[in-house]
Amino acid sequence: MRSTSNQQGYVKGCLTVIIVICLFFSSWVFPDLALADLVSPGQLQKIEQQWQNSAHALAEVNCSSCHQNQETKAFVSKPGEESCKSCHQASVDTFLLGKHGIRTLEGLSPLTPAMAHLPMKDSSLERQMNCNTCHNVHTVNTYEASVDSCLTCHSDNHSLNYKKSPHFDIFQGIGTLPRPNKDAVTCATCHLPREVSGDNILVNHNNTYTLKPRDRMVQEVCMNCHGVEHAYNSIFDNELVEANFARPPNQKLPTFKMVRDLEKKRSSKGN
Amino acid sequence: MPRNVSGFRPLAFLSSKLAIISVMMILLLWLGSAFALDSQGIFLPGETSNGHVLFEASCKSCHEGFKPVSNDTCNRCHEAEMAKDVHGAKKFRDPRWAQLRENIDILTCTACHREHEHMFGRGVNLQPDLCMSCHQGVIEGELASHNDFEADGCWTAGCHNFHDHRSISTGFLRTNLDQPWMLPKPGLPNRVVTTKLDTAPKPDLNQEFLGGKT
Repeated sequence: MRSTSNQQGYVKGCLTVIIVICLFFSSWVFPDLALADLVSPGQLQKIEQQWQNSAHALAEVNCSSCHQNQETKAFVSKPGEESCKSCHQASVDTFLLGKHGIRTLEGLSPLTPAMAHLPMKDSSLERQMNCNTCHNVHTVNTYEASVDSCLTCHSDNHSLNYKKSPHFDIFQGIGTLPRPNKDAVTCATCHLPREVSGDNILVNHNNTYTLKPRDRMVQEVCMNCHGVEHAYNSIFDNELVEANFARPPNQKLPTFKMVRDLEKKRSSKGN
Repeated sequence: MPRNVSGFRPLAFLSSKLAIISVMMILLLWLGSAFALDSQGIFLPGETSNGHVLFEASCKSCHEGFKPVSNDTCNRCHEAEMAKDVHGAKKFRDPRWAQLRENIDILTCTACHREHEHMFGRGVNLQPDLCMSCHQGVIEGELASHNDFEADGCWTAGCHNFHDHRSISTGFLRTNLDQPWMLPKPGLPNRVVTTKLDTAPKPDLNQEFLGGKT
């Protein structure tokens, strides 16, 4: 009697293990059979429309460019950074060096706002950072990625005050698609700045690069439009940074007085 | 009587070989599983600096076995920040300045940036007056440019940067002095995308997204 129940238990145990293994491997071998990855015909139509009006479509970047493995021709339902990188190498490489991407570069799970030290919106805490988090990969307009995407997660005072700032007024006043033009000042303008690289204008996606020291942002970003004194007097005023530069700076950094005195001394010596 | 005595010997269980072996097995299992499950956080010797804390669970990002962290490790990520290092190899391999390396081992990142230790700001372990190792003359008469300034204010006041001072050097400020608050031609680099086609082609995948359903 006892041996029969033991045998039954053994058979049940083996069956459970086999079923678990089969389930595990089926999702591995046929990843695209997982229901969550499929879209409805209606969703697909919407995505096709977004793509048809995008720069990708006109640049002959078709569905298969991203959704098909170029060697095996296997369907890829959710392309990752590697797919974007095959064309946008500098963007992905720099993204991986900033706080947004560094965990991915180091082989950990992607960053989520829940891990952040800055205040983040409760509704966004579980979002995982990858290209698709900020960019709509089907419309590929960067208008959305330049402000709205940031404010989906960030809720510190500097971020929230952007929409009360003169920079935002300019952005709002200047048309929209497909990307912010050279006069618009968005979150990305300062934190993911455009850089001239040979004949190309690339976007530095290392979001940490211009943060510290602050003078790096002055030269890389502010001085595209502002004089050096205005820029320094603003960016070294913590209250003004928090207010997202809502008013002109009040302080006059002693540095500039020292440089002026030096100039006077040098020119009097010259005479 | 012996029973009472044993009650006052908290380490008595160590006399049992079985207990010692069990404790060691538990320790081994704990450390082993930490390695195996990649939960290496337990090996962290102290607080990790802001930024690095995000990937502190990945020891191998910076450590190769028990070898010391090298400059190459840091440069894997910080190459861009170090591209125009004014305190770099180019300067301090020059015999005119090489001797100053005896004051601070300036060409080794970890001489100032040791991880998992207290930082005085900007990821630096040395006291903020570290510039005085070589630049004492700046605040004490010899150069007379910053007489009576505090010894620890060079970078904490936001005026000087150790590595990249392209946009804060005296030369840069002199060149750009007296600019108006808005420059005559304000504008960012403009990104223009040129495309090959005028109208979009047909999408080349369809059924795949629906899993074979129509």
